[in-house]
This record gives sequence, C-alpha cells and structure tokens, in this order.
Amino acid sequence: MHTSLLNPDKWVALYADALYSYAIPRVNDSNLAEDLVQETFLSAWKAKDSFKGEASEKSWLYSILKNKIIDHYRKKSRDIMQPLSSQDSSDTFFDEADHWTGEDAPCDWGVDFQQLLDYKDFYKVFEACKNKLQNIQQSVFVMKYMEELDSATICKALGLSSSNYWVLIHRSKLQLRNCLEKNWLQLK
Amino acid sequence: MKWLSISCKEATYLLSKKEEKKLGFFNRLKLNAHLAICSVCRHFDLQTEFMAKQAPHVHADLTLSQEAKDKIQVTLTENK
Repeated sequence: MHTSLLNPDKWVALYADALYSYAIPRVNDSNLAEDLVQETFLSAWKAKDSFKGEASEKSWLYSILKNKIIDHYRKKSRDIMQPLSSQDSSDTFFDEADHWTGEDAPCDWGVDFQQLLDYKDFYKVFEACKNKLQNIQQSVFVMKYMEELDSATICKALGLSSSNYWVLIHRSKLQLRNCLEKNWLQLK
Repeated sequence: MKWLSISCKEATYLLSKKEEKKLGFFNRLKLNAHLAICSVCRHFDLQTEFMAKQAPHVHADLTLSQEAKDKIQVTLTENK
C-alpha cells in the first residue's frame, strides 16, 4: 500500500479543472465531462490501494479518465452503429479520376510546424472541426488521434470491420484537414 | 509503369495505413512514387502528420463551477 502517496482530499481542488478540460474536447458534452471527472475520482478512491506510486498521482488520474472516455465510446457505438454510407462529404474533394479538385486541394500552409506559438487558437479550431465530424467518424477519430489507440483496439471497442475502419479514418482525416485549412489559417 | 500509378484519393488512403506501418511492399512503392510527383499530397502528408502529433495534447482551458466541484466533493466524501 502506498496510500500515503495519494492525497484524495485535494483531488478536486488540484485536478478537477484539468481533467474537465481534457475530457471536454474528447466527449463534446459538458455534463458528461463533469460526470466523467466525478467517476474518475470515485474509481481512483476505490482503487487507491493498487496505486504503486510508479506514476505520479496526476498521470494515474489521467489514465483512469482516459479509460472512462474509451468506455463512453464503446457504449455509444451500440447506439450509433449504422451501415457505412457509400457517399461522404469528403468525396467532393476529388474529381472523377480521384485527383484533388482545385478548390479543396491542400495548399501550402506556409507554417513552420516546429515553431507554432499560438496553440490555444489551434486547439480551439481543432475541437470545432472535430465536432463537425459525423458521429461514428468522430468516435474513430478521437480514439485514434486524441487517445492514440491502434486500429485493432478501436475496431474491437466499436465493433468495426477493419475495412470500414480504414475508410472512416481516411474520411475523417480528409475532412479535419480541410476544415483546419479553412478555419485555422483562413488561407481560402 | 502504369501499375505504379495511383490517384490522390488512393494515396491519401494509403498514408493512413502507413501511419500504423500497415503498408505492404507494393503499396509502399506506389505511395512513394505518387508522393514524388504530387506536391499536393505531400502537403496533405505533412499537415496530417502535424495534426496527429498535436491531437493528443488538445485540451480546453476551462474551470468547473464551484457548485460542480462542491457536488463532486460531497459525492466523494459520501463514498469514502
């Protein structure tokens, strides 16, 4: 037992805002995010005897929250499973020969990615663009890019076939990039 | 060399597979041949790579209301 390494009385004061700010862009619902923060603390309290002190208290709480977020998408997938449509709004990015159409072709952003200063602005636009993704695309996108899970784990959690997964990831990337180009850099 | 030639749509699809190192030998060849001649897909590659790198760090800058915090604190205390 390393309970002495934990300070449960201070959890809310120390971590509630940070965990909430992490959850919001991932679940897109303030009430749900609030519930997830509470459940994170409750689960942590119940599991406090298993805390080995290998990670910091903070990253331990984060890992519990991350599991709750994945659980949320797992449960949600049962409600939103719909057959993959053959059409997608990203289809218009390409012409009949499947090459980029002029208007939606990625242009040079002229950004030095190593020296980006205003991350806050980028995060805001990123979140808004992510929220525009269709339900199932959004689930896949969050799990793959924001939670960094691999395709096998995501397919299993969401009950997706591997071929549908790759189509969904492809479409969500096309749309997110397009939305960032239009709304973050406003080049067009 | 026609067998090597792929469309931009296919190239961007293969880039996702490449991210997880799930690209076979021939597809890798096709993708690299396409990227060598297509600057538009090269932009796509760089930009989505940046996107993937930043995505795990995305967070809001919000505070929970005192009311919400008190509620959580009460629930926690009750369950101790």
